[in-house]
Amino acid sequence: MTRGRRTLVWILNLLAIAFLVGPLVPVILGSLHSEKSLQQDVRSLLLRPREFTAANFVLILSGGTARGPIFEQVSYLPKSVERFPAAFLNSLVVGLAVTAVTLVVAGLSAYTIARLGLRWTRALLRVSLASRMVPLIVLMVPLYVMFRSYGLLNSLSGVVVAEIGLLLPYAVLILVPYFGSFPSELEDAGRIDGCTRFSAFLHIVVPLTTPGLAACGVILFVLSWNELLIPLIVVSRPEFMTLPVVLAGLVSDYFVFFTLMMAICLLGLAPTAVLVLLLRRYIVSGLVAGAFKG
Amino acid sequence: MNLPALLCLGLVVAYPVGYAGYLSLHQVSLRQLRTGDFPWAGLANFSRLLDDGVFWLSLRHTAVFVMVAVALEVVIGLAIALVIAERRVWIARVTGALILLPWAVPPVVNGLLWSFVFNAQYGYLNRALSALGLIDGSVNWLGTPALAMGAVITAYVWRTTPFNILLYHAALSGMPGEIFEAADVDGASAWQRFWSITLPLLLPVIAVSLVLRTAFAFMVFDEILAITQGGPGNATWVAAWYTYKVSFQPPFDVGLGAASAWALALIVAAASLIYVRALYRQVDL
Repeated sequence: MTRGRRTLVWILNLLAIAFLVGPLVPVILGSLHSEKSLQQDVRSLLLRPREFTAANFVLILSGGTARGPIFEQVSYLPKSVERFPAAFLNSLVVGLAVTAVTLVVAGLSAYTIARLGLRWTRALLRVSLASRMVPLIVLMVPLYVMFRSYGLLNSLSGVVVAEIGLLLPYAVLILVPYFGSFPSELEDAGRIDGCTRFSAFLHIVVPLTTPGLAACGVILFVLSWNELLIPLIVVSRPEFMTLPVVLAGLVSDYFVFFTLMMAICLLGLAPTAVLVLLLRRYIVSGLVAGAFKG
Repeated sequence: MNLPALLCLGLVVAYPVGYAGYLSLHQVSLRQLRTGDFPWAGLANFSRLLDDGVFWLSLRHTAVFVMVAVALEVVIGLAIALVIAERRVWIARVTGALILLPWAVPPVVNGLLWSFVFNAQYGYLNRALSALGLIDGSVNWLGTPALAMGAVITAYVWRTTPFNILLYHAALSGMPGEIFEAADVDGASAWQRFWSITLPLLLPVIAVSLVLRTAFAFMVFDEILAITQGGPGNATWVAAWYTYKVSFQPPFDVGLGAASAWALALIVAAASLIYVRALYRQVDL
């Protein structure tokens, strides 16, 4: 490779990195400032480390109780601050429940689709593909009315049920190619030894396709963690709000603390960002599989 | 073994889609929701929908949003996928590791972070631009209709482009190296190589990404909520926002919302169908 070409590759890569990471820089810098120093100089790039403070994080993580010198005098705090710890926990519970149930249900279906190749199982695959194209808002209007009459509004189980419905088709699309690429000889051997198809699936296929299942699981968790519209419509009582709903509450607040907002954003995106950076390889294979084998 | 999946799909996807149709033909708003009695309304909801100037306006905005956003997602995605294809330089592997970062950011967080970037008074973009000496004073990004739409599109494209990069990158990695060597032997320039080899080989993948991204861009909601709430005025009202506002904000006109939801579903279905038809003819998907 020539020197000029190498330099060009470097410059282009740095531009790409700036595109991917750049927008997170204001979040980090903003979250480290007090509202006072943010407003003092509206032209500064917030790069003076001497003004950095962890007060925003301390306040949010303590649910608004540990005010410290910066927030001592503040008479109004956004409700999102005091709701943060509970919402974080709700998001975690919902995310884990949705991931577990969806993975089991989609795994069973995807396996039959990949193995049986019957006309109706292939049709099921096409239904999954079509379901993914249905705009979520289309489902939310009737689901709201349905949940209202079944008493599922304002409950975490309502959120979980709706998210499973949303994510199930996608999980099937991700898993079918995994099971499809898994050689069937091992199961055949198991079935000759007397396994039923179900026990062959449970004892042979599942242990050997763990990477694929894990990839799908992580993707499901991230999508559930990020979901706003479903909990926004299903839940109106603060104790059942998930993190995105609490974050959305910052928008309609009559006074905006940008520094607090950025700190809360950083805490909200940290779990999925860390998960994604650590498990990148799995997630990439899962996302690519889910997009193609329709 | 398929029973659970069929049950879920039936209860949470198929039945609601049908039920939305039912609701759209009945008068459903706050009072009816309380009593649980939905009087028949015929096509009244649809005729109200078609008479509503805001609905048409939000459709126009959605069309602009979808076209610009999807085009940017494809072009930027392709550019970055090509940039990281040069694996021999180690920085490309760093870029590759960071691709998924924006994808992991919750959409509502994405909206909030860009609302800080674009804020007129304390926003980071105005700070950066004045530090570079490009502006004097402050630009009211979110208070100007065209700029506000641009801001929402920017935020959305940032979060969604990584998915495209990923698809294109996967496709590029799967390409046989011999073709490129042959092209080099024949003295093809980098540009010729891109136009005559890489792009044609990528077309099927680009086709898939077009269908998926278009369908998803139609549903943009979180960024609108977090950045502009449809404002200034109604300059960034898009279809999903319209449906949400009429159904779930006073006066809770669920019947009208269901009609608009159905209209939106039909548009997305039609767009996907046209796409798939046109693309099937062009390339072997």
